[in-house]
Amino acid sequence: MITLHNISKSYSCFQAINSVSLSVGRGEIHGIIGASGAGKSTLLRVMNLLEKPDEGEVEINGQILTKLSRKDLRQARKSIGMIFQHFNLVANKTVSDNVAVSLELAKFPRKVRPSRVEECLQFVGLSNYMDKYPAQLSGGQKQRVAIARALANNPQVLLCDEPTSSLDPNTSGEILTVLQNINRSFGVTIVIVSHEMEVIKSICNRVTVMSEGQVYDTVSIQPKGIGMMNNSPKFFVDQLTKDGDVGHA
Amino acid sequence: MVGVSIAAAVLVGLPVGTLLFLCRKGQIFENRIIFSILNLLVNIIRSFPFLLLVVFLIPFTRMLIGTAIGTTAATVPLSIIAIAHYSRLVEQSLLDVPKGVMEAAIAMGASVRQVIFKFLYVEARSGLVLGLTTSIISFISYSTIMGVVGGGGIGDFAIRYGYQQFKTDLMMYMIIIMVILVQLIQFTGTTVSRMIDKR
Repeated sequence: MITLHNISKSYSCFQAINSVSLSVGRGEIHGIIGASGAGKSTLLRVMNLLEKPDEGEVEINGQILTKLSRKDLRQARKSIGMIFQHFNLVANKTVSDNVAVSLELAKFPRKVRPSRVEECLQFVGLSNYMDKYPAQLSGGQKQRVAIARALANNPQVLLCDEPTSSLDPNTSGEILTVLQNINRSFGVTIVIVSHEMEVIKSICNRVTVMSEGQVYDTVSIQPKGIGMMNNSPKFFVDQLTKDGDVGHA
Repeated sequence: MVGVSIAAAVLVGLPVGTLLFLCRKGQIFENRIIFSILNLLVNIIRSFPFLLLVVFLIPFTRMLIGTAIGTTAATVPLSIIAIAHYSRLVEQSLLDVPKGVMEAAIAMGASVRQVIFKFLYVEARSGLVLGLTTSIISFISYSTIMGVVGGGGIGDFAIRYGYQQFKTDLMMYMIIIMVILVQLIQFTGTTVSRMIDKR
């Protein structure tokens, strides 16, 4: 589904990615993990050419993105969804307008837009928040709006750049569940970049480990399921004191 | 006079400011040459003491309108300063838009035009309104010296009849009217910008 071929990308004096080749199969949930600065986010952003690679080819769904004209690239991007660590919603648009804008860009027939928006928001469990503004939502809810926005155009691929890194563990679990549902219900190929081992282990089938701008290894794993964390204060105390020696202050 | 300069600010200043922003380093239209030229031009116009700009532009105004005297002629320098003034404020408000929002727009396949109208202006709208408010108040202040080229206006009236004919009370009335006018404009601008700011 996604094939990267000998991708290199450097910034003024720093080689972010050094000749990386990678392939992601259709319907996979593919994780990319590595330390900060390993190049994992850059690699993800190369996939929809948010970062233009200096060398190499990007192929998604049979199209070689690096060879497309600007216009065709814009068209191709409409079937590649993307979500971000900081959600990147338009704060001055309501929840439903945020989702609708991606339909507008794709020239989705005006008449069926509202119903499609509602459908997507329903899928992420936010149908009661249509007229709210992002500032009125929690982090997890914002990320779900972003997912609905990415989902609206029936993308083939969903790129997730640290989707849970600014969320608490419980909310992370919710977001991961939504992502897994998308993968299962619509067969969307998902790529997740994260530095959190828990996140990667929970839902990915294959994982690429990156180090210093190169692929260290790619392994197939059995997703071990999303561990729903309990958010009660008692749970936190239990976790903290699990290993004995407690001193209540 | 002020009306024309406001129109110039919106119709020309807004696009120029947007271009200034888009041509900056790291933006979608990154272009050092266009940026440097526009940037220099805006700076030069804004660094003229306004009275000198009016005088300096007399040949240009004459070429454009046919005369350099009168209210219509006065709109030329006023519009030029208006464009320079507002475009800088537009650039500043656009800089406040989080970079991620533009990135999301590009990732969704938005064209440059769509990025501007469906994302940038939507996100920066309260700043754009506040900037315009500040600009309008400056234009009013600038317009008061248009008497030198026979532009007329309330400022000219206050100087000519109030100051030069020693009718201090008349001058005071004019000042009071101006104060009230500016208060009203600022109040309206602030209110509108607050109403449309959902961030």
